[in-house]
Amino acid sequence: MEQFFQQLINGIVLGGIYALIAVGYTMVYGIIQLINFAHGEIFMLGAYIAFTLVMFFPIPLWVAILVSMLFCAGVGMLMDVVAYKPLRTAPRLSALITAIGVSIGLQNLARMIWGAKPQSFSEDTLPKFFQQINPLVEPTSFLNIFGVSFTENAIQFSEGVSLAYLDLTIIILAIVLMVGLNRLVSLTKIGKAMRACAQNRVAANLMGIKTNRVIAITFAIGSALGAVAGVMVGVRENISPLMGFHKGVAAFAAAVLGGIGNITGAMIGGLLMGLAEVFGAGYIDSFIEFVCNNIGLGQFYEDEKISHSYGSGYRVAISYIVMIIVILIRPTGLFGKSSAHRA
Amino acid sequence: MRNWLIALLIVGLISLWGCQPSDKKAEVTTETEANTDETEETQELTEQVKVAVAGPFTGTAAAFGEMIERGAKLKAKQINEAGGINGRKLVLTFGDDAGTDKEAKLVATRFATDKEILAVVGHFNSSCSLAGKDIYKANGIVELSPGSTNVSVCEGSDWTFRNLYRDDFQGTFIARYIKNILTKYKSVAVLFDNDDYGRGLRDAFTAEAKNIDLEVVASVAYDRENTDFSTQLTKIKSKKPGVIFISGLYEQAALIVKQARKLGIRSLFFGADGIDSPDFLKNAGISAEGTYLTTPFTFGAGGEEAAKVATAFEAEFGVPPDTWAALTYDAMGMIAEAIEKTYNKDAALAENRKAIRDHLASLDTPEEGYKGITGLTYFDINGDTVNKPAYVKVVIDGKYTTAPKQMPNMDAFE
Repeated sequence: MEQFFQQLINGIVLGGIYALIAVGYTMVYGIIQLINFAHGEIFMLGAYIAFTLVMFFPIPLWVAILVSMLFCAGVGMLMDVVAYKPLRTAPRLSALITAIGVSIGLQNLARMIWGAKPQSFSEDTLPKFFQQINPLVEPTSFLNIFGVSFTENAIQFSEGVSLAYLDLTIIILAIVLMVGLNRLVSLTKIGKAMRACAQNRVAANLMGIKTNRVIAITFAIGSALGAVAGVMVGVRENISPLMGFHKGVAAFAAAVLGGIGNITGAMIGGLLMGLAEVFGAGYIDSFIEFVCNNIGLGQFYEDEKISHSYGSGYRVAISYIVMIIVILIRPTGLFGKSSAHRA
Repeated sequence: MRNWLIALLIVGLISLWGCQPSDKKAEVTTETEANTDETEETQELTEQVKVAVAGPFTGTAAAFGEMIERGAKLKAKQINEAGGINGRKLVLTFGDDAGTDKEAKLVATRFATDKEILAVVGHFNSSCSLAGKDIYKANGIVELSPGSTNVSVCEGSDWTFRNLYRDDFQGTFIARYIKNILTKYKSVAVLFDNDDYGRGLRDAFTAEAKNIDLEVVASVAYDRENTDFSTQLTKIKSKKPGVIFISGLYEQAALIVKQARKLGIRSLFFGADGIDSPDFLKNAGISAEGTYLTTPFTFGAGGEEAAKVATAFEAEFGVPPDTWAALTYDAMGMIAEAIEKTYNKDAALAENRKAIRDHLASLDTPEEGYKGITGLTYFDINGDTVNKPAYVKVVIDGKYTTAPKQMPNMDAFE
């Protein structure tokens, strides 16, 4: 049971990251029907910018995240102006191929600037409660309420269930930003303009909405959220020029799962994708063992050495299988509507 | 205006894209060429012999490739400064397999069909050595690996050799070391990279663990593209193992120890030669403290000759050499010695290549073995090196330190 709760936490954290990235894909698609493949690279740039900032300037991480968000918002808008705006009336395929081109270009730009080797944030640039502690020293618990103890870098719910402050921060950030975005889209004037553009760009333009400005803002918001996810992944895992590709593809799948073009869908899709990946990888081996034992293949299972848990090596594949199943049953995704009612 | 912008963008993209795969190779070639000019002027070695080095110079194992390249370059430089091989200049050419079997096949084909290359030092990753094996065999050229430890690397080919131990030795060694020396720990969980190296090592380890009653409580795979290991670690955590054995490479291992500590796992980590890289220490930081690992060689246990090479290496490249630089240095030395003893200017390429192979195969007793800085190297019938011991290192204060207790004799392996 402890394992279940720990996996649940892992899944929610990963889901939060996917949701933050997926929103960027879905917002752009909602407004200009473009799958912006370069969004994964914005996410990667976000991580690298914050990494470089804290390396060279004595600034705290949260300032670096803010600067990185602003920078990525700028890159997102620039990308729109340079690559997509000239193709606004061109066939959708042209814009799609351009997006792939921008993606490859940014990936290699990062490789030229920062090198191909993956890098990690150095510990002293991180806030104290994100830092690692010496594994040879017993962690000190400075607060203990109802059996839940707070140590230097994690909350211990019980012996087998813990939540690192870093992961907690990711979850909180994801929730706050998602709620904020939701409020922005449904309550503000610019949100209304975005929804109008999503319904019909030409009509919105005729009503006096500056559609190009709305599109630019959409790119900026999506990119800024991607940058936050990038920094968090950079701190939690590592930073490499290919990180945007790996996480980006999964997040794109999450957006499709939720119904591309639908912001709430992307949030839920991201969460589901994270949970599917973690629980799929976590339990598929037990499932296979269970099946083998129950259809009289227990010996075969032992002999063929599948008793080594291979399943977790295929965690990415598992989440795609979930996506394919959903798409087969509901081609519009979980929350997708027919094209007239997007966003 | 728009068209102009698009055109500019396309040109930019193409040029960026064009830079990427080739820049490393270009750099390597120019360096070699630069070397060539320089030495030709000073030494007037007009004739040359060519040897290829294959390794992961880019990709997720690039830190190993870097050391391999440097080890080979240092040996070649020293040979050429001492007058070359029988008055011929030793020229190196490098091939990047990126640590993947797909690229390794391309590199192997290029080397094997080359009209000048006499022998190949490489590959590093077991999957790459295996992928190249048949190509080298078909074209009759020696493949001498300074890093592949998978059991089957040398099997079935007379042309493949290696100058370090195999994973069945290493896996057995680790199981016994935990059982006999780290007696505090009663159970082990295995976390393995799902490729030839990771699986081979895991099999040797779990088989021996079963023999000596060391309890293996879990055995979990990961993919090398993974950067988030929390799922696998959570599975292992619930089994509460005393030791977690990582059967994989340094980059993933660094993430694994970091994420394990964040999850509150306080088991001891034990790795194999795949995590023997300065990058492991750099990326894992303080989380790596107390991690044990086996390695085919450590400068701490090497002799005077090894210390001299270490000094020369540091003077040349500004960093101390690691295990792989040392093994490559020796592999290059063996090939150079074979060329020195057998090379015939007038013979055809195939004959010269064959003569090198025959010379290496003839080194089959301790008396005839090659004495390098990593110890004595001689081959068994497969081309494996069976005499070399494993050393144990432990991470203390962010540095690899030779472990206080070594296990020089392992009864099962005599």
